[in-house]
Amino acid sequence: MGRSRVAARLRDGRSVLSDLYQQGASKVLVPRTAGTALTAVTLNTAGGMTGGDSFTVEGQAEAGAHLVMTTQAAERVYRAQPGEVATLTCKLEVGEGARLDWLPQETILYDACALSRRLTADLAPGARFLMVEPLIFGRAAMGERLRSGLFRERIEVRRDGALVFADATRLGGDIDAQLDETAIGGGARAMASLLFVCDTAEAQLGALRALLPATGGASLIRPGVLFARVLARDGYTLRQSLLPAIERLSGAPLPRTWML
Amino acid sequence: MAGPMATNTDHIIAARAGAEGTSARAAGPAGKGLASGTVTGMPRSAMPPAPLGTDAALLTLAQWFSPAFPIGAFSFSHGLDWVISAGQLRSAAAVERWIAHVLAQGSGRNDLIFLAHAWRGEDPAGLDTLARALAPSAERLTETAEQGASFVRAVNAVWSLDLPPLVYPVAVGAAARACSLPLEATARMYLHAFAAALTSAAVRATPLGQTEGQAILAATSTLIDRLCKDTLDTPLDDLGGAVFAADIASMNHETQYSRMFRT
Repeated sequence: MGRSRVAARLRDGRSVLSDLYQQGASKVLVPRTAGTALTAVTLNTAGGMTGGDSFTVEGQAEAGAHLVMTTQAAERVYRAQPGEVATLTCKLEVGEGARLDWLPQETILYDACALSRRLTADLAPGARFLMVEPLIFGRAAMGERLRSGLFRERIEVRRDGALVFADATRLGGDIDAQLDETAIGGGARAMASLLFVCDTAEAQLGALRALLPATGGASLIRPGVLFARVLARDGYTLRQSLLPAIERLSGAPLPRTWML
Repeated sequence: MAGPMATNTDHIIAARAGAEGTSARAAGPAGKGLASGTVTGMPRSAMPPAPLGTDAALLTLAQWFSPAFPIGAFSFSHGLDWVISAGQLRSAAAVERWIAHVLAQGSGRNDLIFLAHAWRGEDPAGLDTLARALAPSAERLTETAEQGASFVRAVNAVWSLDLPPLVYPVAVGAAARACSLPLEATARMYLHAFAAALTSAAVRATPLGQTEGQAILAATSTLIDRLCKDTLDTPLDDLGGAVFAADIASMNHETQYSRMFRT
């Protein structure tokens, strides 16, 4: 169980902490970084999630501020007891002219895991939102296969109150076998969704496409909403494609936790 | 990554055995309806929108979901054009599996959920907004928005409805409600038409013959039946899918060099 909240505001041209709250297994670190953005690193001191766990993460970039949110490590979703589902709720708010980069490290789904997560982002006019959600299906290095499990995800992004993007994922049963299907994973064991919402997202489409592997794709779904999905053999291969794509869209090197 | 297709049958296709003979379901009652119907010669504007008897309802559905109904279904492939040009589907069995997964874990199931909610009278505008937001690519948005807009134009003109432009499944649900058409039959015919459009696209883009195409379509009938039984009471919170590679295909179709389809 855990709950955290972090907010950034603009002061003298730099983004600084305006609110910080942490409870239970959720901790937030605010490392000193170069540049003008505020970086918040969330940490699950329980070491992972299991059935019945409930976590809430809130992040807010106030008008003009730039908040980068990431995680200290990959999030492990352990085997759940039958009927128990872990829940993760992320609520993000991006004020007028503000930026929020949601850059968690990989979520690793263990065999027989059960996770339902929901992310909502509310963007004010002129806001800029970058989101990446990398997902790894089973610990391949240990020969683990996701023979059963449940993964549900709902993402909703509103701009000026209007829903401009949603994504709904629903996986269950023998996930490993399904990932071999041509329409589903084509043999992949890792997948990432990448979303970039800002007034000038159009300009990044060509560059993003050029950085993606043949197993990925990108589309400007509507003005200002750029979405990409990337499939990869494993987590390592996924990172190789993701790192340059994220750096391109954020215009900055990745948070240091990604490099450790 | 585009490795060889798995050859084992999975949970979706497994239900196919024993399904023979169910695909002609709609033909019998529709035929009866034709015999008992009357030609009134009524001017269009005077045609009553509702209620229709079962037989007349089936004829209306047969018309809506005929390939001749002017929604341009033939020009959309849901990304299949790219998948085929990339050499990922090399047999009739592979095409059948791809279509089955798009039906069960992609737009097929999600569209049924939207259709059912619209049929029950939920605010079409809200459903339309959510359905548009869920489109994973520009072409998938085009596909559902343009077919829906064309469908609305046709039903407004012929059945004297007053629907605004809506994405295709929401438009169908709202129109079926306005015409007092039964939900389950509407959903079955809708999903069958989707499967038929995908099959037709596959036949045009591969060396598959017409008969193989019809065999693929007939094989989806058990799945369509199961999805219609399982899905029509699903809340919007349970929308969702997993055809990530099909989503990526529709994105990559945007830059495909030689395109047979608009999507």
